[in-house]
Amino acid sequence: MNKRKVLGVLGITVLTSLVLAGCSSKSKADGKDVTMWVQYSKTDPEGKAMAKNITAFNKENKKGYHATVQYIPRNSSGGGYEDKVNAALNAGNLPDVLTLDGPNTAAYAKNKIIQPLDKYITNKSDILPSIISQGTYKGKLYSIGYSESGVGIYYNKRMFKDAGIQESSIPTLKNPWDWNQFMAICAKLKAKYNAPAIDMQIQDHSEMSLYAFAPFVWSAGGNITNKNGTKSIGYFNSKESQTAFQFIQDMVKKDYTTTTPVNKAFQTGKYPMMLSGSWTITELNTSYKHLDYGMLPYPVSPMTHKLVSPTGSWQYAMTTSTTKKKAAGALVNFLSSTKQEYRTSMTMSTLPARKSVSKLMEDKVDPSLRFLMEQNILSGHARPVLVNYPQVTRTFADTVTKTTYYKQNPNIAKLLKKQATTIQSYLK
Amino acid sequence: MSRLGKRQNQAWFFLAPAIIVLGLFLFIPSIISFCYSFTDFNMLAPKLAAFVGIANYLKLFKDPIFMKSLKNIVQFVAFVLPIQVGTALGLALIVNKKRPFNMFYKVAFFAPVVVSLAVTSILWMYILNPSQGILNSLLAKVGISAQPFLNSSKQAMFAIIFLSAWQACGNQMIIFLAGLQNIPKSLYEAADLDGAGKWATFRNITLPLLKPTTVLILTTTFIDAFKMMTQAMIMTQGGPLNSTMTPLYYIYRTGFTDRQLGYASAMSVVYGFGIILFTIVQRKVTRADEGSGQ
Repeated sequence: MNKRKVLGVLGITVLTSLVLAGCSSKSKADGKDVTMWVQYSKTDPEGKAMAKNITAFNKENKKGYHATVQYIPRNSSGGGYEDKVNAALNAGNLPDVLTLDGPNTAAYAKNKIIQPLDKYITNKSDILPSIISQGTYKGKLYSIGYSESGVGIYYNKRMFKDAGIQESSIPTLKNPWDWNQFMAICAKLKAKYNAPAIDMQIQDHSEMSLYAFAPFVWSAGGNITNKNGTKSIGYFNSKESQTAFQFIQDMVKKDYTTTTPVNKAFQTGKYPMMLSGSWTITELNTSYKHLDYGMLPYPVSPMTHKLVSPTGSWQYAMTTSTTKKKAAGALVNFLSSTKQEYRTSMTMSTLPARKSVSKLMEDKVDPSLRFLMEQNILSGHARPVLVNYPQVTRTFADTVTKTTYYKQNPNIAKLLKKQATTIQSYLK
Repeated sequence: MSRLGKRQNQAWFFLAPAIIVLGLFLFIPSIISFCYSFTDFNMLAPKLAAFVGIANYLKLFKDPIFMKSLKNIVQFVAFVLPIQVGTALGLALIVNKKRPFNMFYKVAFFAPVVVSLAVTSILWMYILNPSQGILNSLLAKVGISAQPFLNSSKQAMFAIIFLSAWQACGNQMIIFLAGLQNIPKSLYEAADLDGAGKWATFRNITLPLLKPTTVLILTTTFIDAFKMMTQAMIMTQGGPLNSTMTPLYYIYRTGFTDRQLGYASAMSVVYGFGIILFTIVQRKVTRADEGSGQ
């Protein structure tokens, strides 16, 4: 290649780069191109639903906005996606919109990573209160959940019948069972099958612990912290909270549940009940088709008879660093609208985050999913929105574990006082 | 350029890759970590990091989980070191003798080393499952009641010690084997002629001549044992009741889950210096021992 040719190629390259740079700076200046990061793969059902939603947004919005999604799968230990977000925080190159898990709202909002969404979200009255509460920090809506989750008690219909438990004594959402009634049924089942009556996943020391067991505390009228999230002493160790942990301890002490459950004991007909989330429905319907199961509500405190059930989900939020607020806001609003959420929930078999989506799904979903949808509307309770949530949830899980060691910790009041002090040390 | 200068340049040229890699991935991060340890660096608010003096260092000595993790790791090292090194030596002695299927034994003993620690941890979780695990089934056959293993704050650490020793001893077995094969056969023949028994031969020939290999194995095992994290992270998440929490896992959790990089850095600095100090003491002890043996 002679000198002239080389110069020619170089010249064309430089010119092309300049033209492209000009184009990209123009579109940036217009503020119409938005980027978004999500925590799943493009090939997941969730990813496929998102791809359709994004195509719809790019086609249907009348302002000429264009969204691009980057799929960054989150691994089972929570890394991957979060690592990328953490790195981007330090490098200052966050996208315009990102997804975040419910409990991260407070920390992200306090550290000004995400900004309020209130003015961009339409039809807020349609959104489930648990979703609003999960995304609200200091009175402002910072993030919006695009689906919901829930936990119920799965029961084996045949095992219940064989143990002589009458249909009439089976609780319903309108007439739930209190802890005493629940334990009476557990006693019958345990006597009949000589095995724990329920796998409560009590051995799970992860996020499942607060997620699944805090509703007992709330049902009793207790709490983890005060409303402002500044105090735990006097709340986590209140008499009401103590009754909830006493109930958990009694369940273990009387062998109605166990810290060492047989793997897939409910699925294989070894235990008659299992406390688990909405995600188990798909597993039961695909891998354990022979199992004739139903769904029962959360047991309630005998003092209050208040039904409280867990909720929680991943959410959309707009970053503080975005220079395209209108486009980012429009994208979040679009993705959390009835039509798009309906698509996501139906594809994923997840619970809906809007009442209107619930209505649309009602007749099209499995009865168990429908049960959890109703339970969510009636009694869904979001987890506390706290800046140091990771430490608080771990202390909660630690408390549940200690509660199950009933010989070492027979005095629940004493245990909760100590744990409340630990939680309070994180509430700054 | 003088001849010496030329040789120095050559030396720097050969050292450069190591210096660059170590600098980028070890020295610079260590210096940054040391600097962070005097700040309240939170990963979510990197721009708001402020100098807090020695507050993080004061905090960690009052942190019950960090102190518990130190106690746990000392217990782990104290048990895993003799078990792992002893087993490795035993296995090396077995495969050192010519016998049928020797290659099979070598491969079998070495196999766990090439399997990822995460995989072996999950495998052992199945083996140790209190309700369905094979170990409890075997114990039941000899009349021992089912044990909780990983669900017990008293047994979990011992289960991890056993698994760790089993997983890593194959590697040390190979090093011991190399050491054993370097011992001149003439010494064994001479001992045999002198009428020395097996134990006397082992004590007076094998062990002394294996000393350099043993020192190397002890030092590397010692440092590796102090870095234990994967097993605790996968099998117990540091529980039950922090009974398997190790300093490295606690540092990781504080830094990356709780996002408190400042505090995690302070723990890293203290723990890093602790290991260095231990290693120096260990080397001095083994060297003094070598001196007295000569």
